[in-house]
Amino acid sequence: MSNPLHDPAREVPRFSSVTTATADAHAEAARQGVEAVLPSPAFDVLPTLDLPTPGPAPALPQWLVTLDARAAADQEQALNGLLLSLADDEFIVGYRNSEWTGIAPMLEEDVAFSSMAQDEIGHARLFYGLLADRVGVDADQVAYGRPADGFRHAQLLELPRTNWAFTLVRQFLYDQYDQLRLEALSHSQYVPLAEVIGKIQREEKYHAMHGTAWMRRLAENTAEARARLEAALPSAWAAAGSLFEPLPGEALLVQAGILAQPSADLHTAWLGQVGGFFRDLGIMVPAPPAAGFGGRQGRHTADFAPMWDELTIVYRIDPAARW
Amino acid sequence: MTDLSPDPSPTREGANSAGLGERDEREMQVRAVAGGSGATWPIFEIFRQERPSQALQHAGNLTAPDQGMAELYAREFYGRRNESIRIWVVPRAAVSEIVDVDLLHPPAVDRSYRMVQGYTVRDKLDAARAHGGDDVPGSPGRKGRATEPHDAMEIPSDV
Repeated sequence: MSNPLHDPAREVPRFSSVTTATADAHAEAARQGVEAVLPSPAFDVLPTLDLPTPGPAPALPQWLVTLDARAAADQEQALNGLLLSLADDEFIVGYRNSEWTGIAPMLEEDVAFSSMAQDEIGHARLFYGLLADRVGVDADQVAYGRPADGFRHAQLLELPRTNWAFTLVRQFLYDQYDQLRLEALSHSQYVPLAEVIGKIQREEKYHAMHGTAWMRRLAENTAEARARLEAALPSAWAAAGSLFEPLPGEALLVQAGILAQPSADLHTAWLGQVGGFFRDLGIMVPAPPAAGFGGRQGRHTADFAPMWDELTIVYRIDPAARW
Repeated sequence: MTDLSPDPSPTREGANSAGLGERDEREMQVRAVAGGSGATWPIFEIFRQERPSQALQHAGNLTAPDQGMAELYAREFYGRRNESIRIWVVPRAAVSEIVDVDLLHPPAVDRSYRMVQGYTVRDKLDAARAHGGDDVPGSPGRKGRATEPHDAMEIPSDV
C-alpha cells in the first residue's frame, strides 16, 4: 500500500544538525550546577531547504506619508496616528512575549504567558483593523507592509526579552500604562474605538492580576528572586519613559474628546501608581525621562532592526499572498 | 481604573478551620508561597462547571507555587476559551482520599441484593401479566395503546 505522504522525494533529509544550545543555555546550566545543555540532533535543527527570498523593506506607504505630514494639524490624521501607536504597542510587546512560548520557566506559566501574548496580538489586530478601514488597505498591509521606521510603538516594547525577570517587569510597567491609556480612551468620541476598548479592558484585567502577582512574588519571595527583579528594573524603568512621548497632533485629539488625557497626565498618574506599588515593596525608583526616545516618530533602537526583519520575513516573500 | 490589589492572596483564610488539625496544617503549607522550582511545588486539583445545570467535574490538575498563582493558571488552562462558568481550585493536600480496597471492593460475600442486577423480576412480571393486570408495566393493556406483548416496555434480557 502506498502512502502518498511517504513519497520518496519527500524523504530526502532536509535538515542539518545545527545546535541551538546557546552560550546562555550553557551559562544557565553552569549556574545551576547541572550538566550543560547538549545539542539534540532530533530537535536542534535548522532547515537547509532553499527558502524563497524575502523582498526588501518596503517604502513608507502613502497613507503613512500623509499621516506624518499632516497629523500635527489634522485631527483625522492624528487619530490614525493614535490607532497606529496603539496597534504597534500591542503587536510588538505581544511578539516579544511570544518568544517565551516553549521556554518559559514552567509549563503552567508557558501556557499562561503565551495566551497573554496572543491576547496582545489580538488587540493589535482590532486596532489595525480600525486603521485599515480608514486608510483603505487591509489589516495585514498595515501591520507588515512598512519599513522599520514606519512602526510607532514605544521603544520599551522592542527591547529584547532578555530574561524572565526583565520580561515580567517590562510587561508590568506596560500593562499599568496601557490600563490608564485604555481608561482615557474608553469614552472616546470616536465610537468605534470606544467599542473595542471596552472588550480589551475586560481581557486586560487578567493581565493586571498576573503582572501584580508576579511582581509581589519576585519582590517578597527568595533573595534570588528579589535580586533578579532589582537587576531588571532599572533598564526597563529608564526605557518606560518612551511610553509617554506625546503623539503627533495629540492636543487635537484631547480637544476633540477622542483622547481624554494627554500623555503627560498619563505619565503623572502612572508614576503615582507604579511608584507607589514599588515603594510598598521597598523598592525605590526615580522618575523616568518622558522624552528623547522617538518611537512615536518611528525612531527605534538597534534591537528593533532584527526583530522587524524576523516579523515581516514571511510577508515580504509574497506581500500579495492570500491566507 | 487600575487596581493594584486584586492579587489572589496566598494568605487568604483557609476554609477548614474547625477541629481538622491535620488538614489545616497541610492547607497552611499550600497557602504559603513555595520556594524552589516547579518540581517541588504543590499540585492543585481543578474542577469546572460548564453550564448552570451541570455538576462541577474534575477537569485536571496543575502545579503552582501557591493558591493565588494556581487560580491564575486554572483560568488559563480551564477558562480562557469561555468553557467554564465556574472553576474550583483545590490544593491536592486538602483532598482526603479513600483507597482501602476492603472499603471500595469488599470481600466476596453476596452483595448482589444492593444492585438492580441482583433481582430477577421477569418471572414475576410474566405471572402478573398472565393474570391480566392492566397496570403491570409492559402489559398489553397499559396506557391502552400497545397490542403486542412487551411492546410498551422492553425488559432487558439480562434481568
